Amino acid sequence: MATVEERVKAVTARVLKVDPKQIKPEHSFTVDLGASSVQSVELVASFEEEFGIEMEEDAALSVQNVGDAVGFIANVCREQGVDIEE
Amino acid sequence: MDKARKKHPLVDAERPNLLEDTFPYVLPPLIRFSKSPVVEYIDGQAVEFDVAGVKDRDIVITDTTFRDGQQARPPYTIDQMVHIYDQLARLGGPNGVIRQTEFFLYTKNDRETLDRCRALGHKYPECTGWIRAVKGDFRLVKEAGLKETGMLTSCSDYHVFQKLRFRSRAECIDSYCEVVDAALEAGVRPRCHLEDITRADIDGFVLPFVDRLMEMSSQAPEDQSVKIRLCDTLGYGVCYPGVELPRSVPKLIYKLNRECGVPSERLEWHGHNDFHRVHANASTAWLYGCGAANATLFGFGERTGNPPLESAIIEYISLKGDTCGIDTLAISDLADYMRSIGLPIPDNYPFAGRAFNTTRAGIHADGLRRDEQIYNIFDTALLLGRPPRVAITDKSGTDGVVHWVNEFFGLKGDDRINKIRLHKLARWVIDQYEEHGRLTTISDEELEVKTKELLPDYWEKYKAVK
Repeated sequence: MATVEERVKAVTARVLKVDPKQIKPEHSFTVDLGASSVQSVELVASFEEEFGIEMEEDAALSVQNVGDAVGFIANVCREQGVDIEE
Repeated sequence: MDKARKKHPLVDAERPNLLEDTFPYVLPPLIRFSKSPVVEYIDGQAVEFDVAGVKDRDIVITDTTFRDGQQARPPYTIDQMVHIYDQLARLGGPNGVIRQTEFFLYTKNDRETLDRCRALGHKYPECTGWIRAVKGDFRLVKEAGLKETGMLTSCSDYHVFQKLRFRSRAECIDSYCEVVDAALEAGVRPRCHLEDITRADIDGFVLPFVDRLMEMSSQAPEDQSVKIRLCDTLGYGVCYPGVELPRSVPKLIYKLNRECGVPSERLEWHGHNDFHRVHANASTAWLYGCGAANATLFGFGERTGNPPLESAIIEYISLKGDTCGIDTLAISDLADYMRSIGLPIPDNYPFAGRAFNTTRAGIHADGLRRDEQIYNIFDTALLLGRPPRVAITDKSGTDGVVHWVNEFFGLKGDDRINKIRLHKLARWVIDQYEEHGRLTTISDEELEVKTKELLPDYWEKYKAVK
């Protein structure tokens, strides 16, 4: 199974149409990767689908960069009893 | 830069102060005055006005939808006027906040309309007439059985000399007073419409004329004493303090009210909107001692129109702090009715336009999503049957779509669908503009179709309920 970070990067690359190899943990979704307002929402929806979880809207949308998203999603997975490769 | 003269320490708080004494939300925002009187300098003297006292004074709205309002459009049918009259009665309520409305009396249709309106049996608005200042016209008033009629007594020299061709002011006043006499003899209360007062010689003509009217009134029974309507015919009136006569609304009212002694309940302001001052001037007239503000539904009247009656209604509640029996929902019903008979009301027109509380900005939609009070003027759903809405364009953002969908499904509080669940619809909206180059607003009908297609589960769940 791919790690949370690999899966987050893959989803991010697909939604934002960027090369997954260029995505770094410190990258901001909006400033560095160019996510628009609606793409930010699409990212959250795609993460939910990818991991089979439900995230609290305001908290999820306040996550700024890729590394923080990995940590945030891993926490939600643990809280909701979803198996992940860390 | 000047040095700051006063320090203003932050009053820190962890709970919001929403100033609910002024913004109760279930009512229009209240207009509250400080305890100090307002001072206006008139003839070199400081004169105090108790504007705060308006809360306890008997102020009313009078309507001229069927007279001035009809001078700017093709005539209403009799049925239309009877319906509008019925709704005016509902809007103004049993306390007669809309106290009177006036009718032409010249044609068979005019008289039939009046008869049918009176046959509805409403106490308010009382029906009054409107005639030329011609003695023979009192026959019409008498035959109609009316107790009061307006008559045109133009008072600027533009009218006295240029239009009416009197040889002197004295001749003009004598002529007017003959007609007033005829009214009093006929047992009809005359309401003298001082046309073009904001362009008249106040000291040289208006005040001597009104003095004479007051003298004549002193011989008449109280219920027939002359009323005065101050007609700002071309919208020249100005409500700011310090403005000179004849344009000063406060000074005009002072002169008639306190110098000529016309009681407030016999003073009425009639404005026109040529300089966008019409509503503020009518409200100012109330504050400075005028008992009645004359208005038309949706401001429809000669040229640029008159004070909008529905705005006067909202102002009335804001000043009184109470609905006083007014049924504000009638405003929306009247607007729908007017649109249905071909009267155009601009979409952005306050309180009644289709989009008066519709936002197109995503950031405003986000505010509405969090708490509708952030961007809604008052509880428009409660008072007007019109909840705040979002029009969907490229500026609406995801928040706009979220607001639209939740309003469409009628969802509130925790039941509201969040933006994560609506991302497909938001994407479709964005693509309309970014991918397809659309330039127009997306209609409710289009959004309904897309909502059904992209949110089938929610459609099934909530449309079945609706």
